[in-house]
Amino acid sequence: MACLSEIKIQKYIEGGLAAVERSLVRDHLIVCAKCRASYQRYEKLEKSLGEPVYITPPPIIERNVLRMLFPRIPSYSSIFALLAASFLLLITGIYIYFDFANNSIIQAFQLTSHDTSNWIGSIIKAISTVFSTVYAVFKAINAFFEVIFKVNIGVEIIGLCMLLFLSWSFYSLSRLVLKKIKGSN
Amino acid sequence: MSLDDDQVLIEKILAGKRSSFEELMKKHNKKIFGYIYRMVRDEDVAIELTQDFFLKLYHILDKYNFEYKFTTWAYRICYNMVIDHVRKNPAHIDSLENENILPKLMESGNYVMEDTFEDLVKEEIREYTWSVVDRIPLKFRELILMRYLQDLKYEEIADISQLPVGTVKNRLFKAKEMLKTELEKDGVLK
Repeated sequence: MACLSEIKIQKYIEGGLAAVERSLVRDHLIVCAKCRASYQRYEKLEKSLGEPVYITPPPIIERNVLRMLFPRIPSYSSIFALLAASFLLLITGIYIYFDFANNSIIQAFQLTSHDTSNWIGSIIKAISTVFSTVYAVFKAINAFFEVIFKVNIGVEIIGLCMLLFLSWSFYSLSRLVLKKIKGSN
Repeated sequence: MSLDDDQVLIEKILAGKRSSFEELMKKHNKKIFGYIYRMVRDEDVAIELTQDFFLKLYHILDKYNFEYKFTTWAYRICYNMVIDHVRKNPAHIDSLENENILPKLMESGNYVMEDTFEDLVKEEIREYTWSVVDRIPLKFRELILMRYLQDLKYEEIADISQLPVGTVKNRLFKAKEMLKTELEKDGVLK
């Protein structure tokens, strides 16, 4: 029998030959050293291929896919929380810019509200009361720093820091609450 | 009709259970990434294509027909994505004939040191064989990857690659002959 073709050896290894042909190949492999060597090499190759070398996928793939498919916080809650925080920041800006407690506009508002009994007057009264109280708190904190640490930070700076902190707290809290609401649904 | 593990997961995903998609992705990530990486031979591109594949898979999962095996359907999507990429970047893919990616594979953490010298030799042959797989022409490489890396049957490969089963078999025989010749030339197969 002539030497075996490469394909025939491979088919023999795969078990893809009919019984008669299979036994002929087996007999040939016993007597032919060259074909036997080729057969053994194919067996080794088959074994190596049968145990693939996998490359570990970077964890970033799963992370990115999941983040893109399922954003952790629903976008509407983020927008709402951001708007709320921006609102607080805006008030902070107004507070600092107008030097609230001493500003003539606010004083004018306060005076106007004295003689007003409608709902606009009530709102002005409420706002000016809130700001007066907040200002008093900031003033007290500043006095505290002045007495203890002998440093005059300034009511406006303290006000800004406090309101920034409040904005941040409100933003975080809003996200947390909205996430819980979303989760309970 | 009894469902296999993948199909059970798909049912859960379609019912809105997100964690099942995570499970499905974890299950197939290694084979999909391995296949794509060996086809495109660029880690960044492989990461991007793997991500795109899973995103696409999620969005078209409702089109999956439960009469067919999930892997055949999914690997076909993956195969088409990779082939699209290869067609758009042909020079990048088939110009690395002399490059040996073995060091990169060893860096990847899959290179397992065995206890005995014999095992070590076997391991090196295995690593080297797979590095040679990365150097053979694409039309042979893709079939070797589907057959051995993704563990698919001839019929499944034929279905995915849209080739007759006979062509798939012949190309695989030819691919293995090429691998054997390369390994003999490099003195790895004695």
